[in-house]
Amino acid sequence: MQSPPSPVPPAQLPEPVPERFTVRRGVLRLDRFMTYAIMIGGMGIIATVFGIFVFIGTVIWPLFQTPTLTPLRHLPLGISATSLVGLDERSELPFSYDGKDTIQFHAAESVTSASLGLEPGLNVGFWRTDRHGDRILLGTTDGRVGYCDISFTSAPTSGPRTVSGSVKMSPWLSLEAIPASSTITSLDYAGQGERKLFGAIVKRPQDTRLIVVGQRQKKGLMGGGKLEPTPPEDLTHLLAGAEPIQVLLPGTADSVVVQLRDNTLLYLFRSASGWERRQTLKPFEDLNSTIATMDFLYGDVSLVLGDTTGSVRILSLNVPTGGDRRLFIETQRLKPFETPVRYFVASRRNKSFVVASEKQCALCYATTGSVRAVLDLPHDIRTLCLDAKAEHLGVVDSSGTLHLSTVHDPHPEAGWRTFFGKIWYEGYSEPKWEWQSTGGTDDFEPKLSLVPLIIGSVKGTLYAMLFAIPIALLAAIYTSQFLSPPVKRIVKPAMEIMASLPSVVLGFIAALWLAPLIETKVPSILLLVLSIPLSAMIAGAVWVRVPLFQRNRLPRGAEFWLLAPLMAALGYLAWLSGPALESWLFIANLPDGSQIADFRLWWPQFTGLPYDQRNCLVVGFMMGFAVIPVIFTIAEDALSNVPPAFTSAAEALGASRWQVVRTIVLPIASAGIFSALMIGLGRAVGETMIVVMATGNTPVVDAAGRLFFGDAGLGGGQFPLADHWNFFSGMRTLSANIAVELPEAAQGSTHYRTLFLGAFVLFLMTFILNTAAEFFRQRLREKFKIV
Amino acid sequence: MPVSLPAPKSSTAKLSSKGEIKVWLTATGLNIGLFMIIGLLLLIAYNGLSVFWPPAVSEFVIINEKGGPAETIAGVITKRQARRSAATGQEIQEVQIFTGNRDAYGLAFRYLDQSSISATSEPLDLFVAERSEYGKAIFKPVRIDLADGLAISVTDPAFLTEFERLVSAGNARRKEIMALEKHDIGAVNARITQLDLRLRKSSLSADDRLETEQELAQLKTDYTELATKARALRDRQKLEKLVYRLTSGEERVQAVAEIIHFYQPNQLTLWGRFKIFVHHIVNFLTEEPREANTEGGIFPAIFGTFVMTLLMAALVTPLGIIAAIYLHEYAKQGVVLQTIRICVNNLAGVPSIVFGVFGLGFFVYGVGGFIDRGPSNPLPERWWFFAAFSAVVCLIAAVLLAIRNHAPTATRHRSKIASWTENTLWITTAALVVLTLAKCPYFHGFFHEKLPSPTFGTGGILWASITLALMTLPVVIVATEEALSAVPRGIREAALACGASKWQMIQRIALPGALPGVMTGIILAMARGAGEVAPLMITGVVKLAPSLPIDGITPFIHAERKFMHLGFHIFDLGFQSPDSEAAKPMVFATTLLLIFLVVVLNLAAIQIRTHLRRKYQASAF
Repeated sequence: MQSPPSPVPPAQLPEPVPERFTVRRGVLRLDRFMTYAIMIGGMGIIATVFGIFVFIGTVIWPLFQTPTLTPLRHLPLGISATSLVGLDERSELPFSYDGKDTIQFHAAESVTSASLGLEPGLNVGFWRTDRHGDRILLGTTDGRVGYCDISFTSAPTSGPRTVSGSVKMSPWLSLEAIPASSTITSLDYAGQGERKLFGAIVKRPQDTRLIVVGQRQKKGLMGGGKLEPTPPEDLTHLLAGAEPIQVLLPGTADSVVVQLRDNTLLYLFRSASGWERRQTLKPFEDLNSTIATMDFLYGDVSLVLGDTTGSVRILSLNVPTGGDRRLFIETQRLKPFETPVRYFVASRRNKSFVVASEKQCALCYATTGSVRAVLDLPHDIRTLCLDAKAEHLGVVDSSGTLHLSTVHDPHPEAGWRTFFGKIWYEGYSEPKWEWQSTGGTDDFEPKLSLVPLIIGSVKGTLYAMLFAIPIALLAAIYTSQFLSPPVKRIVKPAMEIMASLPSVVLGFIAALWLAPLIETKVPSILLLVLSIPLSAMIAGAVWVRVPLFQRNRLPRGAEFWLLAPLMAALGYLAWLSGPALESWLFIANLPDGSQIADFRLWWPQFTGLPYDQRNCLVVGFMMGFAVIPVIFTIAEDALSNVPPAFTSAAEALGASRWQVVRTIVLPIASAGIFSALMIGLGRAVGETMIVVMATGNTPVVDAAGRLFFGDAGLGGGQFPLADHWNFFSGMRTLSANIAVELPEAAQGSTHYRTLFLGAFVLFLMTFILNTAAEFFRQRLREKFKIV
Repeated sequence: MPVSLPAPKSSTAKLSSKGEIKVWLTATGLNIGLFMIIGLLLLIAYNGLSVFWPPAVSEFVIINEKGGPAETIAGVITKRQARRSAATGQEIQEVQIFTGNRDAYGLAFRYLDQSSISATSEPLDLFVAERSEYGKAIFKPVRIDLADGLAISVTDPAFLTEFERLVSAGNARRKEIMALEKHDIGAVNARITQLDLRLRKSSLSADDRLETEQELAQLKTDYTELATKARALRDRQKLEKLVYRLTSGEERVQAVAEIIHFYQPNQLTLWGRFKIFVHHIVNFLTEEPREANTEGGIFPAIFGTFVMTLLMAALVTPLGIIAAIYLHEYAKQGVVLQTIRICVNNLAGVPSIVFGVFGLGFFVYGVGGFIDRGPSNPLPERWWFFAAFSAVVCLIAAVLLAIRNHAPTATRHRSKIASWTENTLWITTAALVVLTLAKCPYFHGFFHEKLPSPTFGTGGILWASITLALMTLPVVIVATEEALSAVPRGIREAALACGASKWQMIQRIALPGALPGVMTGIILAMARGAGEVAPLMITGVVKLAPSLPIDGITPFIHAERKFMHLGFHIFDLGFQSPDSEAAKPMVFATTLLLIFLVVVLNLAAIQIRTHLRRKYQASAF
């Protein structure tokens, strides 16, 4: 191209000013600064967002850490082989007892002793530590039993802590009628409120007898009365001639477990009519081995047994299926040890315990039946003891030296099996998936299975999708293919507003308006669902009979407003005729023999499943509000973006408008529709407030008095798993569970971390769904880039 | 048999009718969807607005089925429903009547069988009064006992004007008491707590201690003075008494000043009703809640939602925009960035409760606990000094290397190793600085004196806002990125060709062009944040906050305070109040307000987006 002739001669051009083309330093500096600021800021923000999940991971991590047993220090006590040894709360002042009048407290430098204050001439012939606390059970040679409580006081004021111990002796109870040459060989004690019971095995020259003696609270007029001793009872006749070796008393103080010489266990129970033999079992019958150790776990419901071949089994008091009485049933088998398991000590905080063979200590957890940590010892073992917090393990060897080890197991109940496997809990008739994080008592066994919650989430999602998918997809197809553009411009934003409705509002409407409204109208709802396709069929059938030129006179997208009155009329008719259907089909039998047409009563009778007012029908419908617009928007976009060349070609070849949709539009848009479904699924899985509210997180309406969320494995698990899928019952989802329980969970506790694990599972579920959706969308985009 | 060909005309009609029923079926989907959204909005609007409308009050004569004398009650029918009789199994029509007078009847609602109502009338002399305690009263007045011992009977023509005057005087006094108790006494109390905490500090000099103690004594006398004043005002409130009669005939006495307002429902004109309707709405929006939130207004909840949403927007806007600019303008495009983009996209779909869990664990317990009581396991001093020292060394090294690497002298070939080292140094510096700050053994928290009661270590408006900001961050990032990519390449290149620096181009061309899109993103984020409840439940929302997060007591903005929120208000009222039937009207009204807020925000976003689309439609391709 030629430049036009310049009117000014070149010589007269102004001097070039190079400064005009240099950039001010300030601008450059600002540019550099902003580059840095944005890069650092941007990377930082994105790192933070992903840091969220790293953080959640760090909270969960301790749940899966292996616990440790670390040797701490050694303390020569210089005690005899028959001494018993115990620890105070912080393992600062071990104590020992060897049958004399005094208890020795072994501080680091000095030994102090405290007197039991026994009468002169009284000889203690049997002594052992009690599993319930800092307590020593004593049996005298003249046939009296009692215990002494040891308490510790610490001076936590400035300077080094000093701990001192003191002793308090209980009143003695007499076993009576015992000849001088007899000895007590086993003794146990159980006390619960108004009942206290000692059980003792007394070896006499001629035979061995089992005697129980107790105290009972006398029922006074003014309530609590004094504890009065009851006369001793001889239970030897229930043993059928076999020789008893060990006696154990469950915490309820109304029964006795006796180990016999032939490795049989007897469970004796005091019923209203007196003592009776309730159960006889041989725990190691299959191995044909000998019981080497046996004691109760914390809570006094489960027995831990170790045998001479090294296997450890746990028996729990459960009501077996079909039975009506609690019996001992084997619930767990631990991985066998190589040497005989002779020593046992139970934690006084949870269901942990330590078993030991000659050279090995193992920390175990009973609920999961797992061996959590093993410590090999360079010395032999005479006695095991744990402190009250179960933070230190003491092992006394034959030279009388106490070897202390630190027990670090903050989350014993955690583990893959706990979260995802079936576990046989105490008091249950079979292994179960169960979520029940807190209980009323200290010895409560937390049940932390995530499975019922995941099932709850899946159930809610499933029913929501069942309702949302047809509506959303049909609406998307219609809007994208048949609706006129001006109407479409109104319809799409309307549906988007639906997406933005706060879920707390939907939950409120669901629970307080919809649930009571449709509680009695289930037959009407069924008819309503049928009436919708019926109205479309009627309209379509009429439509095809209308001559073509008449049809063409109607504007594009007229169907939906033509259909509206028909749908409304049919729907109303269906709503009204619900009671008629009910009285025809859903007739329930009342206890008095009369019959009544009521779906609410019919459903439980017909299926054996409960009917809740706040059920999946309500949740599904309301979650539909949240899910429909999500699916609709994305699916509509995918359907609208099908290249018009394809549809035009199909139409030119003579396809009807539905044939175009079915054969061209749907297959091409299928990936987009799939991704819409995925994202809708993600939204439904994570929905919290609708579920919390619509499934009845409230004592207001819940007349059945069922725990919060009905039957999703809560409230003692009275419902089988099949019921988790019941359409007319409530549920508890992962997200709702977190929202309800997290504010109450103590920071750092197993419960707290497990809820974080729930959040992580939830996150993974939605993240996988969304990534899959994104992947399909990308593929769709690639596929149609060229056209 | 010969095949008979159909007539060609009908063949076209038939062919093009293939699947017509299915087309109609798809139309049902749209119909249901639209019906659902419109129905829901209408339902909430109707129920929400009818709460404020003063209905006519009827008098019902009820037959006593056990044969006693007939009973008369006044009230409004609120619901009709069918109940199945336990005895016969027959359906019985029953009505729910709002009777008010909770102090007299125990409950504000009553269920009656339709058949037991023998007569209904609408007497003109019924009054409805809103009281500061026990909710509404429906009654017939008898007389007012004045403070000076005189009485005005209802037959006196001056009765109504006097009644009105006394009620408004009582309202004025109540406001005065509120101001006194909330503001004056509140300020004194705040100062007393502050001084108490100062006294607990061990490092206080004797002089300071004396001074503080003197001020405390002064404050305590101030407090007594103010409290006496408030008590006197409260006593004054009880002087005038209204004697009224229930429809059942029982006579009751009520302090006039405890009546907030009253009207005669059966004498109102339409205009009069409308005035009371507006009055109710204004009260609802501006007043504090009473009676466990079931009466009064929801001003604290509105204020809490407003402050929280604003705080959230103020946090999320710069962060989201910076991240989006980085992703779109500065980061090297490639597979890694594409992955990051997909992940950010996906984060928008992560359930809100997950963010709530993070907020509780990290902000409330982690950062909040740190602010309160310092690091929980600080580094040993020697290690800490070492860390601080290495942080400084790393920083200096990084800065020196940066200056060498990015000297603006000439476009020199940069060594890859040098820039890699620089990046590593920066990251190490950042990590070390964080470590030094978080594990400092000399820091024992800003609120050490208040322990063990936490200040920042418990849920509060700041943590809730940050949590929601994180939750909505992906929304803003995605929207901003989309808006940035909608700015045509041509304009950008023109700017760069004119000599603009990269930042100048972004600042003057890209960002203004993207502004509507960014606005859409922020508004959508605000709408989502305003309606979200689940994460708030675990990061600091409460059913009744004693004070607002912003008030007149220094330091004016109390970021650590718990707050009230419209969404949580709905949840709490509908599900955790002892009388959910009585709370229902309030829930519907609150729902209406929340829906209104969210829908308006969304409509604004949609409007801006449409506008944006129109603007760029021509230039985009």
